[in-house]
Amino acid sequence: MNPTLIRNPARRNAGQPPAGAVGRKPKRHSGVGSGRRPWLGLLYLAPGIILYAVVVIVPVGQGVWLSFFNWNGVTAATWAGLSNYTGFLSDPALRAAVEHTLYFIIFFSLLPIAAGLLSAVLTSYKGVRGAGIFRAVIFMPQVITPAVIAVVWQRIYEPDGPFNDLLRIVGLGGLARGWLGDFTWALPALGLAGTWAAFGLCMVMFVSSMQGIPQELYEAVRVDGAGPVREFFTVTLPNLRGPLSVVLALTMIGAIRLFDLVWLTTKGGPGISTITPTVVLYERAFANPEVGSAAAIGVVMTIVSLLVVLVIVKLAEGRSE
Amino acid sequence: MISRRERVMTYTLLAIVSIAVLFPLVWVLLDALSPSSTGAIDLTSMHWSNFVTAWQQAGFSQYLKSSLIITGSVVILGTVVAILSGYAFGVLGVIGEKLLFPLVLLGLMLPMEAFIVPLYYDFLSYHITDTYKGIILAHLGMGVSFGAFWMRTAFRAVPGTLGEAARIDGANSWSQLWRVYLPVARPAVLTLVLLSFLWTWNDYFLALVLVSDPAHQPITLGLGAFSGRYLVQINLLSAAAILVSLPVIVLSFVFQRQFVRGILSGAVKG
Repeated sequence: MNPTLIRNPARRNAGQPPAGAVGRKPKRHSGVGSGRRPWLGLLYLAPGIILYAVVVIVPVGQGVWLSFFNWNGVTAATWAGLSNYTGFLSDPALRAAVEHTLYFIIFFSLLPIAAGLLSAVLTSYKGVRGAGIFRAVIFMPQVITPAVIAVVWQRIYEPDGPFNDLLRIVGLGGLARGWLGDFTWALPALGLAGTWAAFGLCMVMFVSSMQGIPQELYEAVRVDGAGPVREFFTVTLPNLRGPLSVVLALTMIGAIRLFDLVWLTTKGGPGISTITPTVVLYERAFANPEVGSAAAIGVVMTIVSLLVVLVIVKLAEGRSE
Repeated sequence: MISRRERVMTYTLLAIVSIAVLFPLVWVLLDALSPSSTGAIDLTSMHWSNFVTAWQQAGFSQYLKSSLIITGSVVILGTVVAILSGYAFGVLGVIGEKLLFPLVLLGLMLPMEAFIVPLYYDFLSYHITDTYKGIILAHLGMGVSFGAFWMRTAFRAVPGTLGEAARIDGANSWSQLWRVYLPVARPAVLTLVLLSFLWTWNDYFLALVLVSDPAHQPITLGLGAFSGRYLVQINLLSAAAILVSLPVIVLSFVFQRQFVRGILSGAVKG
């Protein structure tokens, strides 16, 4: 993901050009002899570029190469052609993983965006006291280690955990169960935990862009007699296109890559009812090695992630220009 | 400027949302202070000793040591590498920049899944799995893209005339960087340090893949192992979970502003 996405929308709202972020054009180091010494620069860049090559670039290439082989990680690899790719959707674990990903996009992306928008709007009303405190509370899950979030939600969903207590209190005790051990309910239960963890970030991103929306726009629609709902759709939402695309891209990538929360709570189970692509990748690469297949999953996930970002960026640009 | 009815609605909704966010956290906090290992909350006697017991039973001293070594090295070395790379791209220019800069930026968009499998087998053949060296190297390499990009932006915002003046005074590129550019870019460095700490401390996946020896695993993996072993002792597990998240929570309170700004601009890193 390109971080300029983040800064550009805010500036666009403020009516300025997206200056300098990727910045091919604006040269702050004006003119002659402004200290540009590219050979020396290469020397300064050397440690970074070597680290990057060893850890990222070379392995990315090796991953593509590996995906054309059958390899158990120990004995000699044999050429597999495209079979690691062609078997993709007929493989039951992978097909389940892809379906779960689509399902998780609702919980990790769409719901957090909706909840984030709602909280952003509510805490931005003039005359709402303690908006800062509400925002700090809602943002709180962002500063908690993912491994800890997994422990927290495992506790909440236990058979005698607080979630079931709550159901019993409101008279729905018949529904109580070990949510994460349930073939049908483990998936939405994890999804809800994801919504909880993600929407604070969405809110803060929206808030920081909403502060750039001129107050006169709101006053104008209020004079026209618009209520809060129409105000939201005619003023707020159209001005949030930039941050919306950023948040959409971010949270979708998060849903596609989901691992920590699942691995630490259900390990993809019961059965394969909560399995995700990264869980399959991990198991194939390390637990019961079919390394070529694992590498192919990595390649496909990379392409899908890049496409998601590209499409969203294009959509956002196409509409705002 | 909103009507009374709207205001009541607003507060009600905000209260509901806030309670929904706080509820799981408060519950685990209360669990951590309760004497019962089945998780029954009992606050008539606060068991602060749960934290000590959890620490000992989970073997956190060793895990914390590993986390501190890994996170400390990554933060320090990674920041230095980011400063050097950002200075190269932002001030000095680089031979082949038209190719190299987009290549570095590409790293911001690549998910870890793109390279984790071959990376593991590479590290296996260099004999650096299960070592601090290996996991630190992996974190450093993955951090280059964001670090270089971040510091490049920061250095470009420094007026070129400052560097020029120092150059006329006879300062070479090295002392220009440390004496002129870096002091001006200090807020950006602080944000980078915080983000780097957050990412490295919170990491689970990379360590899970590269470090299987408990003596070198970070504390997030320690928590995972503990939650597998002691599923029954809920009060201790809760206490352990709080201990693991404490450093990040404390930092986020101390550096509230930089933290939120950092998370916003850094969230884009894959």
